[in-house]
Amino acid sequence: MSATTQGSGVPVCPRCRSNTTEVRGVSPVAGVWTVYGCDTCFYTWRSTEGEQNTNPDKYPEVFRLKPENLPKLQVAPRIPPLQPKAQ
Amino acid sequence: MRAYQDFREFLSVLEQQKQLLRITDPIKLEPDMAAASAAATKLGNRSPALMFNNIAGYQNAQIVTNVHGSWANHALALGMDPETGVRDQFLEFVRRYRMFPGQLERVTSAPWQEVVIDKDINLFEILPLFRWNQGDGGFFIDKPCVISRDPDDWNNDDVENVGVYRLQVKDKNHLGIQTVPQHDIALQLAHAEARGEDLPVAIALGNEPIITLMGATPMLYTQLEYKMAAVMQGQPYRVVQNAKGLDIPYGSEVVLEGRILARKRQPEGPFGEFPGYYSGCHQYPLIEIDRMLHRKDPIYESVYVGRPWTELDYLQALTTSAPIFDQINATFPEVQAVNALYTHGLVLIVSTKVRYGGFAKAVGLRVLSTPHGLGYAKVIIVVDADVDPFDLNQVMWAMSVRVNPAGDVLMMPNLAENLLDPACQPSGMVTKMIIDATMPVPPDTRGDYGEILETPMGTDTWLQKLEALTKELQK
Repeated sequence: MSATTQGSGVPVCPRCRSNTTEVRGVSPVAGVWTVYGCDTCFYTWRSTEGEQNTNPDKYPEVFRLKPENLPKLQVAPRIPPLQPKAQ
Repeated sequence: MRAYQDFREFLSVLEQQKQLLRITDPIKLEPDMAAASAAATKLGNRSPALMFNNIAGYQNAQIVTNVHGSWANHALALGMDPETGVRDQFLEFVRRYRMFPGQLERVTSAPWQEVVIDKDINLFEILPLFRWNQGDGGFFIDKPCVISRDPDDWNNDDVENVGVYRLQVKDKNHLGIQTVPQHDIALQLAHAEARGEDLPVAIALGNEPIITLMGATPMLYTQLEYKMAAVMQGQPYRVVQNAKGLDIPYGSEVVLEGRILARKRQPEGPFGEFPGYYSGCHQYPLIEIDRMLHRKDPIYESVYVGRPWTELDYLQALTTSAPIFDQINATFPEVQAVNALYTHGLVLIVSTKVRYGGFAKAVGLRVLSTPHGLGYAKVIIVVDADVDPFDLNQVMWAMSVRVNPAGDVLMMPNLAENLLDPACQPSGMVTKMIIDATMPVPPDTRGDYGEILETPMGTDTWLQKLEALTKELQK
């Protein structure tokens, strides 16, 4: 297993380095590309993109995210209080 | 004035007018789509739409970009001569805008009902999705018309909404949506979430060009975009109502039906945005897609967003200028025109007749209290009626000789601003400025202006003559 893949062969997320990734889709013409997605930070990438988008070690520092910081992101729009149900 | 039945009819008109370029070379979605579309924006006033049909990984996919990406294409969208200048397009846009409202025409079927998918939807395999800018958090659908109704006033057509909101494709059938608090859909979502209910939405992709322009126009909450589209095209606007009661344009290529999930937020972004900077990452609402309908071999449309100018700047040029003009002209009929072409009106230029000293500054202040001015207008330049606000040579002349900064620059600290403006301090707040570039009139007696130079008598006649002769010369 390399630094950039999980045991199943699905890569770790280049952006947040979580293992919560899966194949989202494959090219209709077989074997051209695979699209992966992360269920932690929702980063999406295509296997044929450059290393800055696909390799966690080459992913630009400025765009990296830490899973523990995701709940602290600004919420917009705010969620309003629930209205009491009419009887 | 012209009504295009659907997206394909408009593309065929662009092609007839030599305003559509077919790219048949093989391309990779990344980085070719962004590179080619960014390059197209640098071709000037006659920049064509680009149509790609040889895309790595697909048999039949077709992608079109830059559909609104030049003044020529913008004029054709409005059914005008492609040579029409910006000022004339503005005046015509305003003329039609003031004919609001037009009519809806409901029909029972549309070409986008040809193919229906209601299980195992995988957006990544059906649509040729791709990344625009390298730091984008994923693949974005960025030129959709999102249709929704107000759960507190469901059957009122006038508060149905059509808006262009960016959508991040999160997984096979989920989309993130940016609904900043100033957007109409944010109000409807708040009503649904207060009830604890999902908000039904329909998302129309690949639309005839007018409804996209209307979706990008900051009109009033009670003004339905379809009724504005009807006056813009000079005919009732044709829609098909779905089972939820949402009206969907007849002329779309693809329709996604789903729900914004109540009281749920999820990481979204970043996305390269209209100010020419990435937007950052936020917790935004989430849409679940239940059903997808499309024409056979649908044409997918997207808009490149980069450092201005890009297609996006054409989309939000007159659609921003016209509502602001209409609103301030209603208070001050002296106002002649508004140029809000620059970065969605963060900077804008107003031309006005000046009734007395200080009048121009009051016009500038009025801009700040329009709905769009509240969240966008930051630097306002007011010029006299003899200056064309769309001609920057004239505007810079006025700035050069009609401004004395000692008395003509007003700074107003801590006003509200769109959080996407990177100059905000803190986010959502900014200092705004009015520059009075009009000539002082009594009782304002500043300066020593003397007599202004007139255009020599007969210039207009000579201009026509020289234009004709120049055309001959170029044959």
